[in-house]
Amino acid sequence: MLGFLTARRAGLDDPLRLRRAESTRRVLGLQLNPDRDVDRIHGNGINTIDIEAVEGRYMLSGGADGVIVIYDLENFSGKLQYTCKAVCTIGRSSRYVHKFSVETVQWYPYDTGMFVSSSFDKTMKVWDTETLKPAEVFQFEGNVYCHHLSPIARKHSLIAVGTTNPKIQLCDLKSGSRIHILQGHRAEVLSVRWSPRYEHILATASADSKVKVWDVRRASGSLFTLDQHNGDKSKASSEAVNTAHNGRVNGLCFTGDGLYLLTTGTDDRMRLWNSATGENTLVNYGKVCNESRKRLQFTVSRGCSPEFVFVPCGSSVAVYTLHTGELVTMLRGHYNNVDCCEFHPDYQEVYSGGKDCNILAWVPVLRPSGVEEDSDHEVKGAAGQSSVNPAFQDAWSSDED
Amino acid sequence: MELSQRERLSELVEELTTSGQPQLNQDKMKEVKKLCKVSNDCLDHVYHSVMSQLNQEHAEIRLSAFQIASELFARSHHFRMLLVDNFQEFLELTVETDSEQPLPPPKEVARKLRALAVQTVQSWQSSYGSAYKKLALGYHFLKQVKKVDFQDIEARTVAERTREEERRRRMERIYKEKVETAAKEMEESQQEIEATLTEMESCMRLLFPDFSPIDIQTANSSPSNSQPATKCPSDDEQPCCSKDLRADGRGAKVQEREENTGGMGTTEENRKTWKEKREREKAKKGCEGIEGKDGEKQEMHKSKEAERREVMEVELEEESEQEESSTEEEEADDEDFIRNSGLISHSYSLDLNLSPGLHVKETEDNEPVVSTVIDLHKLITTKHLPAVQGWVQVFTKSGGEEQLLRRALDLKRSLEATLQKHKELHIDYKARVRKVMKVSSDGEDDDDDDFDEVPEKEGYEPHIPEHLRAEYGLDPSPSTSTGSVAEKKPSTKKTAAPPLSSSSYSSMRRLKQLAEEVQDPTSVVATLHLLREKMPPPIESSSSSEPSSSQSSSKQTNVNAPVVPFGLDVFYWGQEQPSAGRIIKSASQHQFWVPAEVEEEVENEELLAESRSRYISFPGSFVPVSHFCRAPLSDGKLCQRQDRFKCPFHGPIIPRDQEGRACRQEDQEREEQEERRKREQQPDWRDAELMRDIEAATGEDLGSDRLGGKKRKGKKKKYPHLSDLKQSTNTSRCRLEKKVFNKSSLRRVAQVMNKADKRKHDKFSNQFNYALN
Repeated sequence: MLGFLTARRAGLDDPLRLRRAESTRRVLGLQLNPDRDVDRIHGNGINTIDIEAVEGRYMLSGGADGVIVIYDLENFSGKLQYTCKAVCTIGRSSRYVHKFSVETVQWYPYDTGMFVSSSFDKTMKVWDTETLKPAEVFQFEGNVYCHHLSPIARKHSLIAVGTTNPKIQLCDLKSGSRIHILQGHRAEVLSVRWSPRYEHILATASADSKVKVWDVRRASGSLFTLDQHNGDKSKASSEAVNTAHNGRVNGLCFTGDGLYLLTTGTDDRMRLWNSATGENTLVNYGKVCNESRKRLQFTVSRGCSPEFVFVPCGSSVAVYTLHTGELVTMLRGHYNNVDCCEFHPDYQEVYSGGKDCNILAWVPVLRPSGVEEDSDHEVKGAAGQSSVNPAFQDAWSSDED
Repeated sequence: MELSQRERLSELVEELTTSGQPQLNQDKMKEVKKLCKVSNDCLDHVYHSVMSQLNQEHAEIRLSAFQIASELFARSHHFRMLLVDNFQEFLELTVETDSEQPLPPPKEVARKLRALAVQTVQSWQSSYGSAYKKLALGYHFLKQVKKVDFQDIEARTVAERTREEERRRRMERIYKEKVETAAKEMEESQQEIEATLTEMESCMRLLFPDFSPIDIQTANSSPSNSQPATKCPSDDEQPCCSKDLRADGRGAKVQEREENTGGMGTTEENRKTWKEKREREKAKKGCEGIEGKDGEKQEMHKSKEAERREVMEVELEEESEQEESSTEEEEADDEDFIRNSGLISHSYSLDLNLSPGLHVKETEDNEPVVSTVIDLHKLITTKHLPAVQGWVQVFTKSGGEEQLLRRALDLKRSLEATLQKHKELHIDYKARVRKVMKVSSDGEDDDDDDFDEVPEKEGYEPHIPEHLRAEYGLDPSPSTSTGSVAEKKPSTKKTAAPPLSSSSYSSMRRLKQLAEEVQDPTSVVATLHLLREKMPPPIESSSSSEPSSSQSSSKQTNVNAPVVPFGLDVFYWGQEQPSAGRIIKSASQHQFWVPAEVEEEVENEELLAESRSRYISFPGSFVPVSHFCRAPLSDGKLCQRQDRFKCPFHGPIIPRDQEGRACRQEDQEREEQEERRKREQQPDWRDAELMRDIEAATGEDLGSDRLGGKKRKGKKKKYPHLSDLKQSTNTSRCRLEKKVFNKSSLRRVAQVMNKADKRKHDKFSNQFNYALN
């Protein structure tokens, strides 16, 4: 750390380098922190969370009971101990609340005054954050599994919507109408993602094991379909041609720079694809437990030197390095399946929501002193810590001697 | 950490968890803690071994492992860290959070484990929840998602407490109500009880008054007593010489009374005293006649009085107190006597033997009093005393009601005192067969007694007092038994010819009446008369003792004689049956169809014999078998079966010597033959050893272990203390199922059923109904 700092002072290093090193260090130190809590509002499983990109302050969460909650993540109290307050809630008492499970929530990328939610009640609602009333409601024929707004789109304001219908709907926020459909999948669409690099590029994952990448300007068909065998016909059986997974593909995630695409499937695999060519990079992440029949929301870190993937794996969140596929750690804390996790790029924090109604904040552990400090200082620090909390003390009774 | 420590810890954990005990062995646990205290490495090791034990599919192992974990959890921060880090799995294994991983059997222990785990998690949460985030999360998860009702444990205690409180309040209320009702009841019935008590008191005083002049006056207010008293007002200033006599006379009476109360006094003596008395009275009368001023009238009165006195005397037999009053009368008599005759020397030598206890006997005169006493006694024992006892109970239970309790206790005490007194009186109750007012046919009020003429229950008198027998025309001393048994003898006594010894015309009239009734065929008396005439001679009507004695003797013979069921032979006992054994065939009733000549009467010897004979079977008596089979068994013992003739295993029972060998030659030979035949039946290739060898070579089961008799030892149980999970499958039901549902038996049953069906088909195949199914 000190080395980085001196190098930075001397102007030897790129400023990004220090930042990367520190954020990587923080990500590696992610832990379930007793100082950080998130209000327990949801009475049911949490399907989706989203942190807004403008300030990085507010977090949306959608529950299986149709409730949507907005949390304030910023800690202004100056104390370590902080509980993320629920700023506002669209609870069951609201007349606008989704009738069934909310599957996806997303902030409008440029303003916190609006957010979009889609639900199994076959609607997608565009909410006004101030009034907590839907400004626009889109009706669909089937359950809505997912939707996505392009985070970088300047030329369009399309929402891609994946429903039980294999056709992908494109809704225009400007006109408030469904302007386009993309045909090509043969089963329900479980996940849709806009590329963070090119505003017209859209990736979609479906239950028919296929992942397609589209250019929405070209309506006739998809750009390409991801193939797990990279077109090697000898390895693929006839029906497995052009499939990304050997099961339902329920998770999609672009890396922060949009160069790579990650997919997860119910075959307990995670795959990393080159988003430009659609080539399988063949990174082996090992077994990534995945039994969800719905969308799995996972995320990739930003601003670390090796990037990390945070993917829900059963009741824990697995952390892999993106390109080597090495399992860094398992964040264990949930008591039931984890459905979603979101990375906070400013503070290198991870929020995860699961079926146990908890949203857990995984916060980097602040080390009491530098890495270079000698060990006796650590002992002192530990002693100080234990003096703070008597629960950490051992309680051996003398009669055991 | 040293290897030995590690090994020792593993060993300890295994021992602790496989003990199968609901509680941990404290010594071993202490050792574990002692080892763990040394270093965190030990804790790590213990943690891992505990977790592996928790993963065992046996609730008892898990329970013990959980107990170890909870012990260490309370001690060590490091262990807490380790455990909380893997809290999901821990909860899955102990609280059953994953429905797809239910707790293993046995069920009871699993339930206990779960309850204990829930409780422990809660206590952990309360003490460490703030420090260990995951613990708090787990707690909330259990509480909110798994809906484990942590409150339940507390709530149950709270609910229990409120329930307890409520119960107490309710009990209080009930007690209060009870006390109130009891107090009210007591208020109400106190009067009644007191009235009963006084009544009882006075009744007893009547029966057995105290020695006080007032009592005498109150007790004997009958005119018969007052009469002589008025007659001789100078009662007190008697000459001292007369006191002797009076005392004597009284003594005589006392003795008489004693005899009568004893019930066993000789009647001869009794009669003698009677005669004496009568003589004396006659003499008295004579004197009176000499000195009589009022003449006949006076005499008449006198005789009446004498009669009355007789009655009195008997009546006094029971009440020693009334004796006092009668002495008054007596005094008068004696004074008269002395005055009239001048005879002082009525020198009777009399023995007084007074029985120490008090005895009151019931007679006609005190009957109403006695019956009242009985009623009152019954009332007290059945109603008042239980009620009072109940009140006392209620008051003592509720407490605080000192006043009421004291009152109730007072009541109880007085009631009990009364009962005690009643007991002391030893009232000799008559058997109360009927509750009809008895007609007093004494001469006392005969002239104005109209009821006399209508005797109830015609002629039946259960009790005839001794002294009235003569008047009833009975032998005055038929037997010694003055008890109720003899008195209850049928009223044939009454209809017996009266000896007419008494001069009382009332009895005469009664007799006349009886005679008239005898004439009347509708009356009971007449019927009885008739019956008595018909009676065989040995049953003597005049004496009541004889029939009873004969009865008793017949009873004695009855005991010895066998009881036989009633039959034809008994029915025709000692008679010649004219038509027995004859079968009469009726001739044809037809107009003109006359059958061939038939013998109309057939003599049947068998039938005849049947009506005269009786089969009596003599089964003999059971004699238990005392011998044993004693055939030698394979284990060197002798057969201990006790069959009478034949042992099911060793054949007929034959005499055998000490070693079980047959004593007789032919038996020995027979057994040897048997043995030889058995050996021949089993071919020598079925040698156990040989077969085992063959089996080992071929790998096929030839049944060598069945032959050899040596059983292979079952696998030794690894942990003998744990309850066997497979045991539950070895129930009688399972075994039966195995037998009933095994393939061959099913096939057999199916075959039989099919055969039956087929038979039906074969038989009725030409019938539509059966052909179809």
